[in-house]
Formats: sequence, C-alpha cells, structure tokens
Amino acid sequence: MGGIRNNVRDLRAALDMTQQQLADRIDLTRQTVIAIEGDKYSPSLETAFRIANVFGVPLEQVFQYHDDRKGSRKR
Amino acid sequence: MSTLSYQEKSLYGTLAADLLVYVPYFIYVMHHPTTLTHIVGTIILLIVAHIMLQSIVAIASRNRITDERDRQIAGLGYRNAYFALVSMILLGMGMLWVHSVEGLINPNHMGLHFLSVFLGMVVISELVKIATQLIAYRRSI
Repeated sequence: MGGIRNNVRDLRAALDMTQQQLADRIDLTRQTVIAIEGDKYSPSLETAFRIANVFGVPLEQVFQYHDDRKGSRKR
Repeated sequence: MSTLSYQEKSLYGTLAADLLVYVPYFIYVMHHPTTLTHIVGTIILLIVAHIMLQSIVAIASRNRITDERDRQIAGLGYRNAYFALVSMILLGMGMLWVHSVEGLINPNHMGLHFLSVFLGMVVISELVKIATQLIAYRRSI
C-alpha cells in the first residue's frame, strides 16, 4: 500500500506514552491516534507537526511518504 | 482495541431516536391516511427523543472532544446525504409530473401528500448521513 506511513507507535512506545496521553497532548481523540498508528488516517500537516514536536524529532522521522506509482508509470 | 468515541455514540443515539420515531410513523401512515397532526406530532416526538438520547450519550461519555477526523467524517456524511436528497427531489419531481399527467393526484390532499413525501426524503437523507459516518468510523478513515 502506498501513501503516508508513520512511526508514531514506536516513538510513543519509546517515551512510554499511552495513546490517550498522546491524544490529549495534540487535541485529538484516542480513536484518531489509533487510526494514525494503523496507517488508516493521514493527519493534517499541522497535526503532523504537533506530533513530531511531542516526540521532539523532525517531521520526516515520524512520517514518510511512499509513492507506489513510480514503478508502474510508463515513460 | 478501538472503543466507541463520543461521536460514534452520539451517532448511534441519533440513529436510535430516528428509528424510534420514524418506523412507527411510517408503519402507521402506510395503513392510515396521514394528517397534519401526525406529521407535527412526529416532528415534536423526534425532537424530544433526540434531546433525551443525546443527553444520555453526553452523560455517559467522559471525553467529548471533536477533532479533525470527526469533522472530515461529518463532511463525508453531509456530502452523501446531499447527493441522496438531491436525487430523491429530482425523482420526486419526475414522479409528480407523471402523476399530474396521468391525473393520479387528488388536489384536495396535495399539501399533506407533499409534506409526507418531503419528510420521507429528509429521513432517508438523514439515514444515509448516519450510515456513511458510522461506516467511515468503523473503517477508521
């Protein structure tokens, strides 16, 4: 599957933080944090920056973009 | 594991209120002629049922915040409900034209007939909105 992937679960676990604690820090619901961790929901850019700020790492360390169309595109 | 959010509980409350009021109403009007009192009574009952069930949901929920995903899912629900409503209005206009040409409409009951049909369209649109939102929440978009 292409699109945006993330390391939120690993980074959260490294800080020993619960999903609810992360959700409270960035004004999201726990269900949205679950959806983000499961790569089922891509947050807005603002929320993505806020998540990176909570973990104290650059944005690209939390979120990565995988473009699956590159290989299939004919030139 | 994901538990139900406040928004999902609220949607189930809305669905329960709608079904509680509209199902008996539509079963009744299928077998009896509808009157203005029935329609006004149904709308009042619906408002009361919504207030009661939403109050219960609000009391039972600790975390009542709404985030960007909730707003996105609500937008998706309203979009699908709008398409359903517009489609039904166009279909209704077509049926009205056919019925007028065929002489199937009793002019004495035109007002109540319209009111009942419009209420039905609103109910179906509302159900489309709720179903879209519940499916979106379950799929975790």
